[in-house]
Amino acid sequence: MAVDITLLFKASVKTVKTRNKAMGVVFDLPKDEIFKKSRPNNGFSLKAKEVISNITKLKDFLLQHRKDYVNAGSLISSDLTRMTDNERDQIDQDAQIFMRTCSEAIKQLRSEAEKRVISTQIKEHRGAVLDLIEMYLKGVCKLYSEQRAIRVKRVFEQENQRLVSEMSNLVDEVRQIEGKVVEISRLQEIFAEKVLMQETEIDSIHQLVVGATENVKEGNEDIREAIQNNAGFRVWILFFLVMCSFSLLFLDWYDS
Amino acid sequence: CPVTAGLSMRMLNFNTSPLKNTAAEPVWKVLIYDRFGQDIISPLLAVKELRDMGITLHLLLHSDRDPIPDVPAIYFVMPTEENIDRICQDLRNQLYESYYLNFISAISRSKLEDIASAALSANAVTQVTKVFDQYLNFITLEDDMFILCNQNKELISYHAINKPDIMDTEMEAIMDTIVDSLFCFFVTLGAVPIIRCPRGNAAEMVAVKLDKKLRENLRDARNSLFTGDNMGAGQFSFQRPLFVLADRNLDLATPLHHTWTYQALIHDVLDFHLNRVSMDESVGSEASPSGARPKKKNKKSYDLTAADKFWQKHKGSPFPEVAESVQEELDTYRAQEDEVKRLKSIMGLEGEDEGPISSISMSDNTAKLTSAVSSLPELLEKKRLIDLHTNVATAVLDHIKSRKLDVYFEYEEKLMSKSTLEKSLLDIISDPDAGTPEDKMRLFLIFYITALQPPSETDLDQYKKALLETGCDLSSLNYIKQWKAFTKIAATPSNYGNSGTCMIISHAAARWSQSVVINYLVRKNRVFKVFFFQNLPVTRILDNLMEMKSNPETDDYRYFDPKMLRGSESSTPRNKNPFQEAIVFVVGGGNYIEYQNLVDYTKAKPGKRVLYGCSELFNAGQFIKQLSSLGQK
Repeated sequence: MAVDITLLFKASVKTVKTRNKAMGVVFDLPKDEIFKKSRPNNGFSLKAKEVISNITKLKDFLLQHRKDYVNAGSLISSDLTRMTDNERDQIDQDAQIFMRTCSEAIKQLRSEAEKRVISTQIKEHRGAVLDLIEMYLKGVCKLYSEQRAIRVKRVFEQENQRLVSEMSNLVDEVRQIEGKVVEISRLQEIFAEKVLMQETEIDSIHQLVVGATENVKEGNEDIREAIQNNAGFRVWILFFLVMCSFSLLFLDWYDS
Repeated sequence: CPVTAGLSMRMLNFNTSPLKNTAAEPVWKVLIYDRFGQDIISPLLAVKELRDMGITLHLLLHSDRDPIPDVPAIYFVMPTEENIDRICQDLRNQLYESYYLNFISAISRSKLEDIASAALSANAVTQVTKVFDQYLNFITLEDDMFILCNQNKELISYHAINKPDIMDTEMEAIMDTIVDSLFCFFVTLGAVPIIRCPRGNAAEMVAVKLDKKLRENLRDARNSLFTGDNMGAGQFSFQRPLFVLADRNLDLATPLHHTWTYQALIHDVLDFHLNRVSMDESVGSEASPSGARPKKKNKKSYDLTAADKFWQKHKGSPFPEVAESVQEELDTYRAQEDEVKRLKSIMGLEGEDEGPISSISMSDNTAKLTSAVSSLPELLEKKRLIDLHTNVATAVLDHIKSRKLDVYFEYEEKLMSKSTLEKSLLDIISDPDAGTPEDKMRLFLIFYITALQPPSETDLDQYKKALLETGCDLSSLNYIKQWKAFTKIAATPSNYGNSGTCMIISHAAARWSQSVVINYLVRKNRVFKVFFFQNLPVTRILDNLMEMKSNPETDDYRYFDPKMLRGSESSTPRNKNPFQEAIVFVVGGGNYIEYQNLVDYTKAKPGKRVLYGCSELFNAGQFIKQLSSLGQK
């Protein structure tokens, strides 16, 4: 495990100070040189730090409004925190412009760093610093695009939802109709059954009726025959009686 | 250890915890190191990872550095005289805005005062923001492997420790260096181990000194480095770890052995150093037209780091398995690439022809496209790794084929396990096609070391003649002869083969005809299956000590417990339970074969953790050179 000896170091500094005082050694502090040396290349790091703080601002802004942004159309959210789509579009636009500016700033810094004729080490260092800033910007852009993707997903999801509810309504109706049709077919089945039953009965009735008609016809024939027979018989009887009467009458005249 | 990597990350973040949030403001800094610091950081972190942590420049301490006055600087150096002078100079020249000084090993009070005085004279005291003693004076190569140092490693090499004309002062200095590093290691680990070592060699000296140093530090209540606050991440489980000190002299055959696992092979045949392998780039197989100058070969180097998943998975695998896996990875990659291409073409067709996509739903494609785009960097990285491993494996394969290393490997395995030998040693030595003179020397030395009785004079002369004919240098043999005479622990073959089985199924190397790894594998019946479960001597010793087994070899080992009030000469351990964690350290040098053997041993025992360390890491070629120079004395 690493051991922090910074305090030990500070104690050593004190020891050296007291020892120097005791020995009368004085250090002429080159104050001017310090300030001079720290001036020249400060421009770059100041600008770089500025770009970073801007990107951080963007990141904070995005994170701050993330909850509201993402809460698109949730039924639970109160009206206060709801964001209109216009506001969201505004955020999108602003974020994009911001990101573009940042990336331009980085490019500019890069070309500046190239132009200035300085040592290779500092050049490499600055290149690496700019790479780091770019990566940071990429990370923040990723935040933004994730957010955006969620929003777009949400819009699609909402439409999905709408379509789904429409479809489900249709489905319900269809189901109802289906139920009714089923019932109709069931009833129809019953009817058909009954009708079939009646058919057999009607058939038998028909048979009976036909038989009855035949019978009646025959009966009629028989009756006619009987009447004719009756009539013929009556004629013969009449003839016999008339003959008998004439014969009586003859016998009576003969005897006379 | 992951501990070191984590520490490096903390240190490089001004000794605060590194922020996990990637959308955090970048803070940039420059890293200044000396060669020691470079060797410690470079196996762990690649340049890209440094950049990701905000380090814009990394420079050597003793180089010309320009002032960058608006940037904090992190120093990671050894507290030597020249380094301190240079730091003071930097302070006077006002090179940077603020200074974070990290010393690899503890800095002395007087040197600290030197820096203080320079800071005062430059009015820069407030600029020196933090000073740390990092206690990182060792190099971590893997999560479970470390070596002592790379710079000046000849000072603590096997040669330096074992040369016959060594003086006491030299030995003391070597021991101090080793103990200092080991002490740093245990401070970083945050645990006080139980030390076991053999008697009568350099390992014992190291153990005694280390025990003394740990004991002194524990007694010093004010400055103890092992108190609760400092333990932090390095805390092991309830038990204390076991620290086994071994001496190289107990096993000289393993460093000479030809090997078959990927990492060890790379170390053996290629230039592999601090997790970086350098090789000549093969410029293509076109024959250069006669008279033309051969194309200049570029040297390419690759970093094999923890981030390389293929490497982590396969560095201990037998080589044929590696080649197969590379092919598999390539196939998967090609499939994914084709998928992306297909999507691309579909998207391209969208405007022109509605036909092909009418049957494919839009949302399906969008999802696929998103996943394809987001996985592109992954794919590219995968391709890079596949190319890397293809190149490395091809280079290794070239060596294997030209030197017929599989023959050597097989023969040596049989020698070390005393199985029956099919070919005679003389045949292999006299075979002009098989191997370089160095390979033959290695084989013969292993034979000599593992033989129950030394070969007769006539046999020996025959061998020597054959070796000289092929161009070998026999001075290393002289040293081995002396060594064998000295060591009371005769390296009987039982040392190598009694704790496992060794089965090798092989096909003759002559059947290999392809020059490219991937083509080679298309014929699956060339798989060279190797199962070797034998424990090497070091592993066996560890096993005995860790599991508290009784064994004549290790019963005589000394026992040190720095936490006990009184040191004892006894060998009886107080603790009867097997250890869960152990650190094995080989004084005199180690290599990847031993490391791999320990890793395999640990894999078979879940719940146990073993770390491997050595004073230096050499491959067989380097070791033979040391033996030769010892034999010439």
